Amino acid sequence: MTDVHAPASVNPGAPPQTPPEGGGSATPDSPRRPSGVPQQKNLPLWRWAWRQITSMRTALVLLFLLALGAIPGSIIPQTGNDPAQVQQYFISHPALAPWLSRFGLFDVYGSPWFAAIYLLLFISLVGCVVPRTFRLVGQSRTPPPKAPRFLGRLPHSATYVSPLPPQEAVAAAASVLGGHHFRLRTNVSTGTTPSSPPGKKADAGDKTFWLSAEKGYLREAGNLLFHLSLLGILICVAVGGLFGYKADKLLVEGQSYADTPSALDDFYPGRLATGSDLAPFDITLNNFTATYITSGQNAGQPAAYNANVTYTATSGGAAKTDDLQVNHPLNVDGVKVYLIGHGFAPVFSVTDAQGKVVYDQATPFIPADTSTMLSDGVVKAPNAAPEQLGFMGVFVPTAVEGSGGTLNSAFPAAENPAVSLIGYSGNLGMDSGLPQSVYQMDTTAMTKVAAQPHLMFPGQTWKLPNGLGSITFVGYKQWVSLTATYDPGQGPALAFAALALLGILVSFVVRRRRVFVRAVAADGNRGSILTVGGLARTDASGGFEEEFARLAAELAGTEPTNQSETGA
Amino acid sequence: MFKVRRRVVVTAAAVLVVLLAVGVAVTFTGGDSQASDRKYIDGSTSAWLYTAGHRPPAPDFTGTTLTGAPIKFSSYKGKVVVLNFWASWCPPCRAEAPTLAVLSEKYARDGVSFLGDDVNDTPTNGLSFTRSIGITYPSVNDPSYQVVQDFGNAVLINDTPTTLVIDRTGHIAGVVYGAVTYSELDTMIHDVVSQ
Repeated sequence: MTDVHAPASVNPGAPPQTPPEGGGSATPDSPRRPSGVPQQKNLPLWRWAWRQITSMRTALVLLFLLALGAIPGSIIPQTGNDPAQVQQYFISHPALAPWLSRFGLFDVYGSPWFAAIYLLLFISLVGCVVPRTFRLVGQSRTPPPKAPRFLGRLPHSATYVSPLPPQEAVAAAASVLGGHHFRLRTNVSTGTTPSSPPGKKADAGDKTFWLSAEKGYLREAGNLLFHLSLLGILICVAVGGLFGYKADKLLVEGQSYADTPSALDDFYPGRLATGSDLAPFDITLNNFTATYITSGQNAGQPAAYNANVTYTATSGGAAKTDDLQVNHPLNVDGVKVYLIGHGFAPVFSVTDAQGKVVYDQATPFIPADTSTMLSDGVVKAPNAAPEQLGFMGVFVPTAVEGSGGTLNSAFPAAENPAVSLIGYSGNLGMDSGLPQSVYQMDTTAMTKVAAQPHLMFPGQTWKLPNGLGSITFVGYKQWVSLTATYDPGQGPALAFAALALLGILVSFVVRRRRVFVRAVAADGNRGSILTVGGLARTDASGGFEEEFARLAAELAGTEPTNQSETGA
Repeated sequence: MFKVRRRVVVTAAAVLVVLLAVGVAVTFTGGDSQASDRKYIDGSTSAWLYTAGHRPPAPDFTGTTLTGAPIKFSSYKGKVVVLNFWASWCPPCRAEAPTLAVLSEKYARDGVSFLGDDVNDTPTNGLSFTRSIGITYPSVNDPSYQVVQDFGNAVLINDTPTTLVIDRTGHIAGVVYGAVTYSELDTMIHDVVSQ
């Protein structure tokens, strides 16, 4: 992006009839011309294209497009985040969904058009920042322009009398301004400051001595820092997208898992990440507590969630414990593990017709209603003989009778847990080898063992009719769902964001400004009359007036009110 | 001087763009540079034997079996081992289990040991599975995928079931992703046993 004040106006505000003497300042502030102005004829097409793509306008358009392109990513379900919802979208929008898919709108951040915007923005920024950096380096090596002849015509000027002869007065002024970290150029040999190139001393024949001082290169430096930091953020986002990953895991109390691809329920690696990049930690869920508001208007609203976990950072390392809470993730091996959900896992034990225990497990049920934690789940006992057994169940933490005798839950915490089961016998369809969800049951080849659902409380056993076996509702455990995210670009991106902020602040606050001094011998005596002129090249935020007044006063060695005046 | 520098800058930027494009192209297309270290079985890309010299060493592990007996993988040293990662809730595991049961008996004479690793399961569920299929070899009780993680450092194990054939020197000779078929696992075991 080029600077906003693209037209190469050298001294805005300077009267046109006093062109700067020196050739130094003829270097345009920006060599980029406004796009409307015709440029050299016969400019090669690629040069023209390059100029277009690195222009600030293009960069702004691209930035806007990038923001615009991110919108569908947050309103249309994304395969990377929620493939099930994408499927659902295809079912509910059969006409629209294939078109959205054709344009990559279900995987926005991986789509070619998003990559194109991103890469073009990247190229645009690089194409802008690199030449500007060279230019800044060049400028910081070029001395300031010579002092204009009529300083009184500058936006800020002041006059004072010095008892010193002109040459010494200018030298004194140079040491004052040098003390304020101005870059100096003068036709007076000061010894302490770099003077103009020796050959130029010849034009000291105008009998006046002058000094040019310039300050505020940090403005452009800050601006460049801002742009470079933007580039840095872009790179960090890319690194995160390429090498990062996201993984989901449902964990029941007492269970643990080793972070390896097959242990995960869902694994979304970046383009260059694979299962072998997973951090080798283990996490055990010791217990989970959900606290709810028990009275008043908000009764039943969650007050706090706490998952107490034991984890081992690298295999064989020391085990540590931590409490995971919402917005309080666990940091392990550079991976952030978030607590994102919870539920109940009733424990069932199933005995088949032959009296063998064929199932004994805490079975995660999925909340259908998070306000009451009424949850659905299935129990599949494929090893039951002679017939396979299956149960579709509803778990309620606080059982109450709903309208029409249905089972309902009055409160999300387990105050009176109960399950209602529908029993099936037959073929679960698991022996064909086709994968199926552990949360769903295919009942097409099964028959109900009883017409009515069976209500059970902890410790109760349901003896199935016809000697098919029995099921015991042993009790319940709770589960949590964890999301582990690894984004190697996140930390650096934050640092770059801070640098970008710093850069833009500096470029807003710092002004590029010049102060000129000319001294002529006073009539008759040994003193001299000095004129000070000041010019802020970008005084958007104001404030140079005061600074100039202070400097002028300091140069005169008096209070600011006495002699300095600022002209328009 | 400024003009010259500018030309350099433009050239440098152009070079950078080309590099970026090449990098992106490589990133997005990817390349299978590992294909030479393996021999696919029956034309399947989900089952292969590593060629000699490319076999990753199998890690050692200790654990308990589903019946509660301690087990040390190092005690299998010098034998060909077929290690099958499975679970009672996993339909493809149910589908392949009879094949494993048959092959474990066929190769018992050749000193091939079969070993299961029952993941994310309870011993009750796991034992009722092996009993109903008729599997007689032991399985490690691995509810937290610890053994999978250990082996995952040697070969990528993305899902359950996965089956590994480990040669007499303790190196992983072959991998089958997904349910095994009789012919591919038979070919692989035969190949490793006759080496």
